[in-house]
Amino acid sequence: MTTTRPVLELRNVGATFPGTGKEPVQILTNINLSVREGEFVSIVGPSGCGKTTMLRVVNGLMPASSGEILIDGEAAGQVGDQLLMGFVFQAASLLPWRTSLKNVLLGLEGRVHDGRDADEIARKYLDLVGLTGFENHYPHQLSGGMQQRVNLARALAVNPRILLMDEPFAALDAQTRSFMQLELLRIWTQTRKTVIFVTHMIAEAVLLSDRVIVFSHRPGTIRAECNVSLPRPRDMDTKSSPQFLDLEKQIWKQIEEEVRDAGGFGQS
Amino acid sequence: MVDGRVSATARTILRLSSVVAGLLGWHYLAVVVVKDGGVLASPLEVLARAYEMTVVTGELYPHLFASSMIFFYGFGLSLIVAVPLGFVLASTRLAWDYANPWITAAYTAPGVAFAPILLFWFGIGTGSKVAIVFLACSFPVLLNVYHGMRVVNREYVELARCYRLTRWALFRHILLPASLPFILAGVRLAVGRGLTGVAVAEWFGASEGLGYLIFFAGQTLNVPTLFVGVAVFTGLGIAGFEIVRQVEKYATPWLAGGPWK
Repeated sequence: MTTTRPVLELRNVGATFPGTGKEPVQILTNINLSVREGEFVSIVGPSGCGKTTMLRVVNGLMPASSGEILIDGEAAGQVGDQLLMGFVFQAASLLPWRTSLKNVLLGLEGRVHDGRDADEIARKYLDLVGLTGFENHYPHQLSGGMQQRVNLARALAVNPRILLMDEPFAALDAQTRSFMQLELLRIWTQTRKTVIFVTHMIAEAVLLSDRVIVFSHRPGTIRAECNVSLPRPRDMDTKSSPQFLDLEKQIWKQIEEEVRDAGGFGQS
Repeated sequence: MVDGRVSATARTILRLSSVVAGLLGWHYLAVVVVKDGGVLASPLEVLARAYEMTVVTGELYPHLFASSMIFFYGFGLSLIVAVPLGFVLASTRLAWDYANPWITAAYTAPGVAFAPILLFWFGIGTGSKVAIVFLACSFPVLLNVYHGMRVVNREYVELARCYRLTRWALFRHILLPASLPFILAGVRLAVGRGLTGVAVAEWFGASEGLGYLIFFAGQTLNVPTLFVGVAVFTGLGIAGFEIVRQVEKYATPWLAGGPWK
């Protein structure tokens, strides 16, 4: 049963960048993580700790230097060319020469061979993210929030096993951001995707997630895990509940200690 | 935005008044300052001569036709060769490094200097003239295709990897449209360079063509005809630019407006 077996499992995963010197720079080390079907997991941590790198490694954009990655119990490399993950980038990853619809269709290119089927799928997901009527708009004609909706629709349209989101709301203003968080909650409730969500905003992580993972300073590894047992459905009011504030404080403390251990705030 | 919102009509008026002012200045210079038709013909004289050459005798048309043919062959051939070559060079580092010294040399050297050599090789016929135009057009296109491909946003390429696009799809859906504005800018440059090539090619031992017309008129001190030839070249250049602009408008609708929107 898929409910007992994790969708994604990372065992002792490490990653390095080629540094300026002879030695490669260790970005991630000893990551052990297992994500259940339908779980929403957030990753927070000091900037430069390798959160984004982990998503890239999981998605195969970057090789792991050690350890193994299992998807549905199989080594990620062997799962082959099947599209198992959707990736929502920070910003600016919509192709400016394609309309919303065509941007969503990009992921379906070469996968769904019947053009009409692909079209239907793309429209369905644009509708899900609330963009019906904007199918033929170019990205420059859309607001930042709407662009990220297209981004999300594109990732969902390929029906991924896992949805990876790399600070998708980082470029949005505070108001739009709060609104998009609620929208994401709604969409997630409807699709029940397994999500790994990278953010530097603790409140965002707590509001959205079943579990928040705190990364250590570079080389990044898991410093703490925190289960978020806040009842769902959650809304704006969730953010002012004592339980929420308590969790936020708890996680903040972990990060604060982490930054102190690493040599103070000025240095990261 | 430097000058706020300017309406389309106002912009047209601005352009027209610039043209009229230029023509008036020319006329003033010719009639009041120089006062010698053998040195500087006035716009009216040129217009009269143009009327004569197009309507009365029709002597302009064979020249126009000959020059146009040479331009289209050379220009078209350069697109057929330079665009794919630019893609190939951009996608393989080795090929680029290997070809780069020669491309740079050929691009920066004055193309006109090669004309006599080509005439020497290919003889005084269509072949040598087309070759001159071809060379003049090829390098701006080649370099722009290459650089267009090199500056494609890395994120777009990652996106293609994320969604497991094939190499062909990466080219067709990402690299090609991303570099299209650069390619068209190269084509625009090629129009100007190609027309220069036509003029140069026809100066050396041709018996027809606009370049020949200008050269011959210059030798025989036929100033109005000289100016008609130059004006026709200018007209061709403007027409070429306008065609490329329309292609840009159609092919890159996402760039509509630019900073002045």
